[in-house]
Amino acid sequence: MNTAFYLRRLHSLAGLVCLGAVLFEHIFTNSMALGGAKALDGALAMMELIPPLIFLALEIGAIGVPLLFHGIYGIYIALEANNNPGRFGYTRNWCFALQRWTAWFLVFFLIWHIGYLRIFEKGMNGTHISYDLLQSLFVGSPITACLYVLGMFAAIFHFCNGITTFCMTWGITKGPRSQKVVSVLSMLLCAGLCLVTLAFMSSYFLMV
Amino acid sequence: MSDNQKVRFIIERQDSPDSKPYTEEFDVDYRPGLNVVAALMEIQQNPVTVDGKKVAPVVWECNCLEKVCGACMMVINGKARQACCALIDELKQPIRLAPARTFPVVRDLMVDRSVMFESLKKIQGWVEIDGSFDSVDAPRQNPYTAQVAYEISHCMTCGCCLEACPNVGPQSDFIGPAPTVQAYLFNLHPIGKYDAPKRLEALMQKGGITSCGNSQNCVEVCPKSIKLTTYLAQLNRDVNKQALRNIFNV
Repeated sequence: MNTAFYLRRLHSLAGLVCLGAVLFEHIFTNSMALGGAKALDGALAMMELIPPLIFLALEIGAIGVPLLFHGIYGIYIALEANNNPGRFGYTRNWCFALQRWTAWFLVFFLIWHIGYLRIFEKGMNGTHISYDLLQSLFVGSPITACLYVLGMFAAIFHFCNGITTFCMTWGITKGPRSQKVVSVLSMLLCAGLCLVTLAFMSSYFLMV
Repeated sequence: MSDNQKVRFIIERQDSPDSKPYTEEFDVDYRPGLNVVAALMEIQQNPVTVDGKKVAPVVWECNCLEKVCGACMMVINGKARQACCALIDELKQPIRLAPARTFPVVRDLMVDRSVMFESLKKIQGWVEIDGSFDSVDAPRQNPYTAQVAYEISHCMTCGCCLEACPNVGPQSDFIGPAPTVQAYLFNLHPIGKYDAPKRLEALMQKGGITSCGNSQNCVEVCPKSIKLTTYLAQLNRDVNKQALRNIFNV
């Protein structure tokens, strides 16, 4: 059994497919805040049209399990590296180190984000997630807002750089030219998604 | 350049595999075309530090002096490279020399690179020619892949790529880019290709190609300009296909 091989490939797939989808869903739904309270609450209500049991199954099967696996096996991978962009300052080596640094930040950010909003507020307190709740959370504490922006930036970079390395790992891009093209395109996507994040996060402050 | 110009070397030294490293500084007379190996030879002849202290000569390895054997690999101004082709004129001074610590240090700049030989054994870095089959008429190299095979065969197991790779070191069991890519060389060979599944299986084990994290430092530092990342991606394709063959038993 080539356990190492299958675990590594599963890690790659879980990150790109499951967590990528989760990231896009988050950016899409949250960008509704640009349209104000009504638009965001409408988008949240749309999500609630999914029957609760199926929703929970999706949350566990398509988010929870892949996230835990990607996170725990990812920590093992990150510990295998001795980041050296100081000595070898090539672009890809910086991306390699950033991939691991954003990962460490995301481990703590996601424990806080999921633990507070999903498990504590929604799960235990039964709080209804709404525009007003998020606005009071962010405007009430700009540090929280900053950490959320950083968390989003980290996740977006980690995902976009992950597209580049996914293509290498799966042998999709072989030569330097195709690898360069994918890497430029994914960094453009990274910049675009970061701008969208900045826009919807600042809208909470502009529409008080 | 004036005749009495000196070149300053700051050398990281270590007396035995387990002792603590320390640095010593040496001055060498400049001359046109001087390289790091030639400078080390000067220090060997007159091992006196800048403070005037006579010390044991600096130990290092070298052999061919023309970037073919790989023996003189060391860390020069922070970069892993061959000392024989590191020209003083092209280096920032003072020149800092250190052993490639991704390998166990034997003494001073001399390291034990035998781990790469062990890795080559793991990936079956040879062509099986002993057997009951007839090998009188040797099969021809495929002319379309011969160029690639020739390129990869330039690898001199110097270890620059292992020193630069963030995933090679005591914290990981990755065999490194050089031995991994050698598997592709032997998979291209008309007789060697019969053992391709065996080599791919070896690369799918712990410490094989899956430990590659795509930092791509290897291709940047390879003194023989082998397109390591291209062949790593090709091998990624090959192990994926092998995995499918394993799963569906074909």
